[in-house]
Amino acid sequence: MHRTLILQKDHLLPLLRKLRKDNRVIAPVRNRFGDTFFTEIEDFDNAAIDLDQQPQTSLKSFFLPQSETLCRYVTGKHPESGALEYSFHAQVPVRTPTVYFGVRSCDLFAVMYTDLVFRRARERDIYYDRRRSDAVFISIGCARPFADCFCNATRSGPFLDMGFDLQLTDLGDRWFVQIGRPRGVRLIEEWPAFFTLASEADRKAQFQVELEARGLFRRHVHVDLAVKLLQEQPDHAAVFAELSRRCQDCGGCAYICPTCICFNIADLRLDEDGGERVRTWDACTFAGFTRMTGDCNPVDGETGRVRKRFLHKLLHDVQKHGRPSCVGCGRCVNMCFGGVDIIRCIEMLAAEGENGSGGRW
Amino acid sequence: MSDGTDDKPFTPANPTCIIATGGNPYLPRPAVVKRIVEENPTVRTLELALADEIDNAHFTYLPGQFLMLSLPHCGEAPFTFSSSPTRSGSFALTIRRAGLLTTAVHALQRGDTVCVRGPYGRPFPLEELAGSDLLFVAGGIGMAPLRSLLAYCLAHRSRYGTVTVLYGCRQPGEFCFQQELQQWRDDRAIHLLCTVDQGDPAWQGRVGLVTSLLDEIEVNPGRLKALVCGPGIMIRFVIGHLQELGLPAGSIITTLERQMKCGIGLCGHCHFDDKLICADGPVFLGSELPNLERL
Repeated sequence: MHRTLILQKDHLLPLLRKLRKDNRVIAPVRNRFGDTFFTEIEDFDNAAIDLDQQPQTSLKSFFLPQSETLCRYVTGKHPESGALEYSFHAQVPVRTPTVYFGVRSCDLFAVMYTDLVFRRARERDIYYDRRRSDAVFISIGCARPFADCFCNATRSGPFLDMGFDLQLTDLGDRWFVQIGRPRGVRLIEEWPAFFTLASEADRKAQFQVELEARGLFRRHVHVDLAVKLLQEQPDHAAVFAELSRRCQDCGGCAYICPTCICFNIADLRLDEDGGERVRTWDACTFAGFTRMTGDCNPVDGETGRVRKRFLHKLLHDVQKHGRPSCVGCGRCVNMCFGGVDIIRCIEMLAAEGENGSGGRW
Repeated sequence: MSDGTDDKPFTPANPTCIIATGGNPYLPRPAVVKRIVEENPTVRTLELALADEIDNAHFTYLPGQFLMLSLPHCGEAPFTFSSSPTRSGSFALTIRRAGLLTTAVHALQRGDTVCVRGPYGRPFPLEELAGSDLLFVAGGIGMAPLRSLLAYCLAHRSRYGTVTVLYGCRQPGEFCFQQELQQWRDDRAIHLLCTVDQGDPAWQGRVGLVTSLLDEIEVNPGRLKALVCGPGIMIRFVIGHLQELGLPAGSIITTLERQMKCGIGLCGHCHFDDKLICADGPVFLGSELPNLERL
């Protein structure tokens, strides 16, 4: 099987229509307010697939929904003995084969990271696993990085060499197609008529696009330097205290982040006789995240609210998985009105490293 | 970072901790309250058995591990076993009334059904403890996980050296496991010392922090392993004091608590620097603890 193919641009929609017969198709779609989100496409004639803007949210919610019911519970009293009765009934997601089209490298890389957490854990999270097992990714290499992108510095883009089923590169009038994982191979085998073999000239053109993309980043973020500084000395109390002071406890950074996957589990009482056990997104910056009964909290919110968030991404995941878990998508930069984003954190660490602990930011 | 291939078989990181949950780690199983012991006005011990008899017969755990306990409309919270697995047929949780869920625990009656998931977490290092003298240092409700280990060690007495138990509470009325305290007191092979922060007219024993008891015992750094559990600040001071007495941090073992939601290393709530208390702990060697200030 040839690993590189060409898909003519006017063949793309017909291909997605074919895929739609047996799959959900999710793609970046611009809505009537001008916002672009990953959305299920049902009507290809009227959906505005938008490959020009960065989708405002990542794929996170498709694998870890913002809120989902894990189980239902019923309770009551035994009619004779009066003893408390109580039982749980799982509510697992229905298997739904899904093609994710138009996924940027950073967002796909984030899925690979969440795989590490959810699928390599002591016990497999079957809710995540079911959704993930049914996923096919047709990703797009980024020819033009967006204003706050820095995936070059986190080595999670702008093009990937693994993780995708198919990776497309825009060559103007045609898509250059790289085949990755086995499902990409199967997809090509199933729909060979849509593709032609790539020529040497196509491969050269793709190489040119990829090379040029790497030179187009406007932000120069010293991720490796920040990692090194944290490895030498993880405390940096002044940096984290300043950032914690500016944090307004809204959780926006964690919600928008494709690799922030901490969650809460709580019971939602529906009536006397039962309710639902619900999992929702959570954020380690929230004051209640670590609070225990009796108001005992091992994290001091005033000075340490954001410490875990940045250390987790830039130090702890390096220790655990060999690389930081920030994918350089830049979404947290626009999200935080206090300016407590990861680029700011990295810049403050670097400035402190340069000027000693008394450094000004 | 590796490429997540879809059909790769799942290899558990720690096979000894895997238990049958029907493939869904979030699905709790019913357990019936067999017996309740009122330890003191705010602490009670629940003796539980899984409602499914076959499940119950196969249910095993190790001292130091914990369960997620659910009560109707209250969510769930982690509790370490206070019983020893050497006693089969049932298991015990010793619970202080403090919040919503634990208040509901204190309203339970014999025959009621609760729900549980687990066991989870890294147990006490039973193999490494063999051949050592054991020093148990407990503060308040921190006796619960240590009682599990102590009962286990007493059931395999020939494997261990001398056993010393230091047990401190704020007030005399707070001591739990009265019946066993008497047994340990009567047992010539066990050296038991109790203290309270504040005595009352009936209290004949020692008054002072549990750390002060450390000066009354003999510490042989080459042979001794210390097992410490209690409030964070107590753990900090006991570890510090033991190190002053020459005990290496690697010979001090403690068990920590945090807010937990999943129990299996995913939800992130129980973070402690680069570690997760639920999956990397809750039992830690003193040498593994990153920064005692934040205990």
